[in-house]
Amino acid sequence: MTELRTRWIKILKDIWQNKSRSALVILSIAVGIAAVGMINAAKLIVERDLYRAYQAGSPASLEIYVSPFDKELAGAVESMREVEKAEPRRAVDALIYRRSKEKWEDITLVAVPNLNAVEVSKFVLVKGSTNATTRSILLERQSAEAMGVGVGDKVVIRMPDDRQYTLQVAGIVHDVYIQPFNLMNEATGYVRMETLQWMGEVPYYNKLNLVVAQKPYDRAHVLEVGHTVRDRVIEPAGFQVFRVQIPGVGSDPGQHWAHNQIQGFLLILQIMGVMAILLSAGLIVNTISAVLMQQIRQIGILRAVGGVRVQLILMYLVYVLILSVVALLLALPLGWLGAWGISSLAARFLNFDITEMLLPSRVILWQVALGLFMPALVALYPILEGTRISVYNAVYQSGIGTEHKEDGVRRLLMKLKGVSPPVLLSLRNTFRRKSRLVFTLVTLTLAGAMFISVFSTRASLTQQIQDIGRYFTFDVALSVPGGTGKLTAVREALRVPGVEVAEGWANANGVILHDDGGESKAIEVVGIPYDAITIDPVLLAGRWLQKGDAQYIVVNDDLLESESGLSVGSHVRLKVGDVERWYTVVGIASKHLSGPRVYMSIQEFWRLTGRHNQVDVIRVRASAARNSDVITQNAIAAALEERYKNAGLSSLKSTTRNAIFADFTQVFDIILIVLVIMAVVLSIVGGLGLSGVMGLNVLERTREIGVLRAIGASNASIFKLVIVEGVTVALMSWASGAVLSVPSGLALAAAVIHAVLRADLNFRYSYVGLAIWLAIVVLIGIFSSLAPARSAARLTVREVLEYE
Amino acid sequence: MKLASLNADGVYIIGRLEFGERNCGLCIINWLMCILEVQDVEKSYKTAAGFTPALAGVSFGVKQGEFVAIYGKSGAGKSTLINLISGIDCPDSGQIIFNGVSINRLSEDERSRWRGKNLGVVFQFFQLLPTLNLIENITIAMDLSDALPLSEHRGRAYQLLEQVGIADHALKPPSKISGGQQQRVAIARALANDPPMIAADEPTGNLDSKTRDGIMEIFSSLAKSGKTILVVTHDKEIASWADRVVYLKDGRITEFQEE
Ligand SMILES: Nc1ncnc2c1ncn2[C@@H]1O[C@H](COP(=O)(O)OP(=O)(O)O)[C@@H](O)[C@H]1O
Ligand SMILES: [Mg+2]
Repeated sequence: MTELRTRWIKILKDIWQNKSRSALVILSIAVGIAAVGMINAAKLIVERDLYRAYQAGSPASLEIYVSPFDKELAGAVESMREVEKAEPRRAVDALIYRRSKEKWEDITLVAVPNLNAVEVSKFVLVKGSTNATTRSILLERQSAEAMGVGVGDKVVIRMPDDRQYTLQVAGIVHDVYIQPFNLMNEATGYVRMETLQWMGEVPYYNKLNLVVAQKPYDRAHVLEVGHTVRDRVIEPAGFQVFRVQIPGVGSDPGQHWAHNQIQGFLLILQIMGVMAILLSAGLIVNTISAVLMQQIRQIGILRAVGGVRVQLILMYLVYVLILSVVALLLALPLGWLGAWGISSLAARFLNFDITEMLLPSRVILWQVALGLFMPALVALYPILEGTRISVYNAVYQSGIGTEHKEDGVRRLLMKLKGVSPPVLLSLRNTFRRKSRLVFTLVTLTLAGAMFISVFSTRASLTQQIQDIGRYFTFDVALSVPGGTGKLTAVREALRVPGVEVAEGWANANGVILHDDGGESKAIEVVGIPYDAITIDPVLLAGRWLQKGDAQYIVVNDDLLESESGLSVGSHVRLKVGDVERWYTVVGIASKHLSGPRVYMSIQEFWRLTGRHNQVDVIRVRASAARNSDVITQNAIAAALEERYKNAGLSSLKSTTRNAIFADFTQVFDIILIVLVIMAVVLSIVGGLGLSGVMGLNVLERTREIGVLRAIGASNASIFKLVIVEGVTVALMSWASGAVLSVPSGLALAAAVIHAVLRADLNFRYSYVGLAIWLAIVVLIGIFSSLAPARSAARLTVREVLEYE
Repeated sequence: MKLASLNADGVYIIGRLEFGERNCGLCIINWLMCILEVQDVEKSYKTAAGFTPALAGVSFGVKQGEFVAIYGKSGAGKSTLINLISGIDCPDSGQIIFNGVSINRLSEDERSRWRGKNLGVVFQFFQLLPTLNLIENITIAMDLSDALPLSEHRGRAYQLLEQVGIADHALKPPSKISGGQQQRVAIARALANDPPMIAADEPTGNLDSKTRDGIMEIFSSLAKSGKTILVVTHDKEIASWADRVVYLKDGRITEFQEE
């Protein structure tokens, strides 16, 4: 075996004997690299497994909602040249009993022509068989899991007419195309049409799933095909088309329904990853500067005994490289673990399976390249700077500050005699080395801005939800399938104990007709009492509906997105069914997750739709003054359901205002937890950086501290000196972080809200976050100065003199 | 101690041969015999208060195998002079010629390389590398100058430690041995690449008198074995170990005067 050169031995020993410093560098590299691995691997895994599963089942490129129809219509559509496949479906909203929680959950019962041979948006059999009888059901796997049932077990279904049916679970299937139970709390089951018939439903379909023949990913083309199908086949056959839409939440055809949200979330993570890398690069620069600073004398000695600069540069590069390799060995499994965590979370919520939990080789390559080259690259600058010093200065001048050191010390001494506040002294120290100070400040500022931004994002989300909540200022709302007379609906609701206000609302689907003969996409027309209090709209322009408004409407901002020409005062021609009427826009309401909407007085609605005196939804409040608490809401919900059921009006489940809020916050909280973890990582990195800088400052001031000690400064006062300095830096970073957190919070909140809600932003700055970060940063300042302070207090006068 | 005469250039001489006179014939002889020649060297330091002159025109020569002490009070310019000779610092004017090579014309890196082959440096504060053990403190010098095959490094380092009498401690770190022992290691390190000359600035300045003699004995025997030794000291006793003493006062070589 050949011997190891002494220069490498020196490096290995330096690494080993300065364990905490080496660990700091290793950790800071590892955190950045692991973050990159985690995020990119999770991205690739989600895209691979979710998107592949999505593509595998020949996803519908288009959904057409039609008035009740039978198989023949589907056949006619499928025979069109533009259409590859057209499969009819029937969806019925019902309830399923969840034994473990002793409550009813929503379930959508889906009927297809043949459960054994679904052709579009296919589900996959997981267990049991797809051979369902009239008395059996196939359950989606997440629904089955939530209900706690397996193949052969029985489930109880309550239909809208309130009759209950017991079905046996024939099979458990995996359907990647539906919005999963874990996310939406809505179960999905598949039955034969005969089963629906047995359960009292008419044997018709109400939706067509289409696969377009050519250019299946071209949004415009796909929609055009949809309109062709409607105009040439469906409507001429006498059916009414309610809606032609591409599946998903703003997705393009062929894309998973949550594609935009997933990509948005991944983008946020990517940004975090880049920040982690930037910070770890900064930390490396900082620590390597400290190492070189500390080893100036050694550099001088090495050169005095024959070493040339290139050799030294190489030695320190190898030093960085060794630490990088160790960091990489740590980062690979760490990144894997993180990727596993994120993709399992995604798999659970988006209902897909992870086929193999390996770090994709592309990601590993990325990590290796980044892990090996980035640290060496950023360390090159401090290494070049640190080895530039002349042998004379390195051996004899180290430990002596460059600028006006003597003056400083003298002034210092004088101040000390006059019992100067240590704060002043520390402040002067803090500003001594500007570039180093700047770096620490940047690190902590970023961490702080990040932290506050996460809090602001949360506050903004809350604000956003509250704004959206202004459109749901009922305590309880209950749908009346098929509609009912307004007087009956309101009377029955007011008979529920505790209900003070009851409003009947109605809705219909319509389109806006354009002058060129074209029409808008489907919009929801909502008829409401002009004095409705279960809505408190946020008006962006114009005014809300008033008493006596005849052909006046308020539109929402979503509608303006597709009908950009609209503004207050515009005249629009609205078509519902066969009736067309002109309206004037008097107000524009903010977005509220509803899709394009038109609000009008219910009298006008009746005129337009011809459904005189009919309402579809009853919205109630216990008090005209305010929304009531959760308990009251739940109590009223139960009583209202009961009352409506007994009156034969509706046996659907009602919605409480509280439940709407709870659903929203759950999804956000997952994202926010990830963000908070990132902010914590950043503050750890920032703290480590500060600690490094403080150590460096103490080292540089060895002589000064010695002088202070020589004139009798106590351990405690030197300790305090260093701590005050650390806290000063921390406070400065807090101030700049507070400033930066305004734009960064705005950006993060916009990104998250856009990813999750696809809505515009109502930014809200979090002062709570600002205050919490203040506390944290002061603690970071104290804790990261503890070790350097201890070593400063431990310096003896003799050591200091020898230092010269 | 009987001190000899002072020649025209102000070179103070104790010893067998005299040189440095402005006699041309002798000059040539001197030049042929000198391993080191210092010619009209000046050096001043820039401080906040202006320029502090440290050396004001110093000339002298050192022959191969000679043991020379540079002697003077604190602040006389001794350290400045030895730093210039060992290429650690550069003169403002004048020349330092070692074996025909003008040291002051070399770049910093060239001087390092030159030191690695030609000159071993010994500092007052030993300046060992704290993380390395004694053997490694010596092999690092061999490693950096690359003069010997790697396989011989440890063996030779061990021999050198034996030569300075501390081979027993070979694997200890510097912090575990005494100051005198550390200085022995520093001397062994200076000998690592077998250079013809050793330059030491106050090598015993930090040691007690008993330890001092041990160190001086090592220098003495090195000189006998043919090494050229240059030792800076402010201690008359130390100077007396040398073949010849160069007396420095206020940056000039002058005749020795008893205070
Ligand atoms: N780095 C320096 N900066 C300024 N002045 C210096 C420096 N080094 C030495 N001097 C001054 O140069 C003169 C000679 O110093 P030095 O060579 O160290 O003397 P010696 O080693 O004989 O004690 C002294 O006046 C000293 O103050
Ligand atoms: Mg000196």
